[in-house]
Amino acid sequence: MTRFYSETEVVARIDELTPGRLHGFLRSRVVVPVEAGDGARYRDADLARLQLLCHLIDCYDLRDDALSLVMSLVDQLNTARGDMRAVMQVLAEQPDELRQRLHADIRARRG
Amino acid sequence: MASDPYAALGVARTATDAEIKKAYRGIAKTSHPDLNPDPAAQDRFKAASAAYDLLKDPEQRRRFDAGEIDAQGQERPQQRFYREHAEASGNPYAQGYGFEGDPDLSDVFADLFGRRGAGGFRQGRAGGFDMRGQDYRFSLQVDFMTAAKGGKTRVTLPEGGTLEVSIPKGVRDGQTIRLKGKGGPGAGQGAPGDAYLTISVAAHPEFRREGDDILLTLPISLDEAVLGGTVAAPTIDGPVNLTIPRGATSGQRLRLRGRGINGGDQHVELKIAMPPQVDEDLVRFMQEWRGTHGYDPRRGMKT
Repeated sequence: MTRFYSETEVVARIDELTPGRLHGFLRSRVVVPVEAGDGARYRDADLARLQLLCHLIDCYDLRDDALSLVMSLVDQLNTARGDMRAVMQVLAEQPDELRQRLHADIRARRG
Repeated sequence: MASDPYAALGVARTATDAEIKKAYRGIAKTSHPDLNPDPAAQDRFKAASAAYDLLKDPEQRRRFDAGEIDAQGQERPQQRFYREHAEASGNPYAQGYGFEGDPDLSDVFADLFGRRGAGGFRQGRAGGFDMRGQDYRFSLQVDFMTAAKGGKTRVTLPEGGTLEVSIPKGVRDGQTIRLKGKGGPGAGQGAPGDAYLTISVAAHPEFRREGDDILLTLPISLDEAVLGGTVAAPTIDGPVNLTIPRGATSGQRLRLRGRGINGGDQHVELKIAMPPQVDEDLVRFMQEWRGTHGYDPRRGMKT
């Protein structure tokens, strides 16, 4: 079962997060929590994302548009990395003969 | 972390607060695990943030310098790294990375990984051209009964205003509902985008769900178990009469046909509940009864 946190809990758990910051993130849709009837609920993934967002602001002075751009790239990269990991795991389970053929084909394309 | 927080940050013991902060930010920039996949970077970052947590507080720093506390016990209670969540399948922020528009590969790609939003959280930018509006993706938590019986709920839109949503009867945890035309406005002549709601179903204190079947654990009294009888069993549509067979036992399952969702059944698992107090009458009766009718329910167990 997914654990959910309220806005108050989220702000209490992340030192660098203020209500103002959080509302800014919500407005720019860089964080999209779960909507329950009586308010937003945050998942562990949202908490980790909020922590990273605070870090990007505090350490890199990123603002609004730049922050959205970086998070979009981070999401693209992580999604690609997760997909690539799945592909590699499936490949690793294939018979030697098939893996060798794929290996040769990929080498031919990517050098 | 290293036993010397000053060493973890690479500063002298005489460093000013500003120098400590600067050193921490320098390490954080190069070694944050969400931005640098090297495991050594992760260790460096953890050590630096634990050290910074200790030294940024003047009182803690004074006590450490005076030898009153050591550097241990200052680990951050929980360090969350986004990457662990972001790489996992089902990450709500998963985002396509360029194959969606490839005429040759988009189908291959979608077959393997499913379809994803491109730029799920970014605002569509209006320009001097026609562009379909952005698709909105929401996660929506609904209570158990609304999911089982259907109903209406509202979601708050990020730019203000609310959207009324009809939850179809029997919606499942993880299911996505598409609301055509309820996404962001299009630019120029472009049509509005769609809104996608991924549903998570909250747990119910009594009912559980297995597809369209409902599971319920129903306590019955000792006398109901022995004698059998009719009791009221809650269902998602209100209580119905359930016949308890004579000699019912804990764990026994009874079926209420058609009382689940969309033609599913409700399964009732019986649980014998003792009376709140075992009184003298019951004790006396049981002692006599045991003398002549004792039985071993554990006979035949393999271990």
